[in-house]
Amino acid sequence: MANSKNVLFGLYNDDDILIDAIKAARNQKLDIMDVFTPFPVHGLDPALGLAESRIHIAGFVFGLIGFITAMGFMSWISVSDWPIIYGGKPYWPVLSFIPITFELTVLFSAVGMVIVFFTICGLGPGVTAKVLDPRITDDMFCIAFDVSNMEENEKAGLQKFFEETGASEINQKTI
Amino acid sequence: MQSFSFASGERKFFGICMIIGVISLIITYLTDDPLNSRFWSSILINASFFTGIAFITLFFYAAKILTYAGWHAQFKRVMESFYMFLGIGLIFMVVIGLGTVFGFHSLYEWNNEMLVATDVIIQNKSAFLNPMWYMFATVVFGASWFFVARQLRTLSLKEDKEGDIEFRVHKRMKVWAAIMLPLGGFTSAAAIWLWLMSLDAHWYSTLYGWYTGSSWLVASVAFLILTIIYLKERGYYPKVTDEHFHDLGKYLFAFSVFWAYLWFSQYMLIWYANIGEATVYYQTRLEHYSVIFYANIAINFLLPFFVLLRNDTKRKKGTLIFVSIFVIIGHWLDKFLMVMPGVDYTTNKILSATNPEAAAEFSRLTIPGFLEIGVFIGFIGLFGYIVFTSLSKAPLVATKDPYLEESLHHHVV
Repeated sequence: MANSKNVLFGLYNDDDILIDAIKAARNQKLDIMDVFTPFPVHGLDPALGLAESRIHIAGFVFGLIGFITAMGFMSWISVSDWPIIYGGKPYWPVLSFIPITFELTVLFSAVGMVIVFFTICGLGPGVTAKVLDPRITDDMFCIAFDVSNMEENEKAGLQKFFEETGASEINQKTI
Repeated sequence: MQSFSFASGERKFFGICMIIGVISLIITYLTDDPLNSRFWSSILINASFFTGIAFITLFFYAAKILTYAGWHAQFKRVMESFYMFLGIGLIFMVVIGLGTVFGFHSLYEWNNEMLVATDVIIQNKSAFLNPMWYMFATVVFGASWFFVARQLRTLSLKEDKEGDIEFRVHKRMKVWAAIMLPLGGFTSAAAIWLWLMSLDAHWYSTLYGWYTGSSWLVASVAFLILTIIYLKERGYYPKVTDEHFHDLGKYLFAFSVFWAYLWFSQYMLIWYANIGEATVYYQTRLEHYSVIFYANIAINFLLPFFVLLRNDTKRKKGTLIFVSIFVIIGHWLDKFLMVMPGVDYTTNKILSATNPEAAAEFSRLTIPGFLEIGVFIGFIGLFGYIVFTSLSKAPLVATKDPYLEESLHHHVV
């Protein structure tokens, strides 16, 4: 990511305060960049107004690719590349392919979703994670605003918002 | 809280269903072959189907108590009235059991002395496949289930009056639930062997019990969804939301997949091993009953799998109703496919030996006719009548269930 962002963020002690703060921010039409929590907080997605994740569509497509790969490869082997009769079964014993097809469907679907997720989030081996504050993986809840292109008075407004909603710390960081 | 009133329109509807069923049974009896195989198999298909639904709902209910599940607490009365059908359903099974003792039907090959006399395989199995065991399983096992069902129902009603912060009543329910799971698990397998698997007396499959049980469970969840949606339409259960339907939809989806998994495991092992006495089961079905054989997989696996795969279809009543109705019909067809081939085989064999004229006229019933469907409608009427009667006897929401609050605030997404 070449473009670094200037981020203003507030840290909260409690997930209930966080949810209330998010609701207040949405009432004030503030543009939240992201929210970080140490564990999945119930009701966060609707509070942020996020649309349903589309990662399951990727899962379905990858599953389909896995299905076609397994079926196609085994069919190619047993019908055209190296046909063998075993156990008196036909050359194309499709039933005996189903367990392996099932496994590959699940494997492709699961691994594919992980890859998509890592790509979207910019994660992966060798990538330095852009962590605003190490405590958001431990006990702190964070609301972050992108202030790269903001005027000073807008920033002051955000400061005031954090103070009003009970943030325990307000920091700024360039990531 | 609100109490359910069994409206006269509903009584009339279920009454008409039952009349259709009785008329269909009478016509079946009058037009039947000399052994009345169509009449008795029709009763066996439906009795085992609906008794099984009642039984598996009890099992499911017990499992929910023991796993500290709370989301269903609001509508647990619907599940209770489902398993209270056990009493009626078991009467039908006892009648069929008495038939094996007194010989007024010939559904089971192992119960025909003439056929067993020349059949070493069945002779060797006769220690288990005999009328005494059949009656024992039906009466003793069935009575034990019904006893536990009564206990759980009584305690659940008692909790409405005496429930307190000590949860004394609920703890006693937990004890009965803990008894029910092993009791139901082992005895239902034996009952399924006798009621259904022994129709093909030479054949056996070790996961047949699981397979039948999962089929019952899918049908039970489907009936549960339909009943709750109907009650909601009538204005009851205002606090049952899409979240609850989402979970019910997940059960419908998950157990349809589980059923398909068992179906496939059973089929593939037999197909792969290719042993004559095992493959004969599927050979008969593929040869003479191929329509239902393939419809079974399409309706009970492909349809719920692809329709309910997405999140939002489990939250929409339209799709849930659509899938539930098809799945109920599909699992009833599955029962038809379990019962009919064996009965037709046995009937044909007996008739050929005793009554060649009737044997020449006898033809296999390869798809359900109008009479079978009529009897099915009749049993739906009976089931619905009993369920709605039990529903009207108690408050719809168990106000002192310890998990009620959890159910009222249930969220899944």
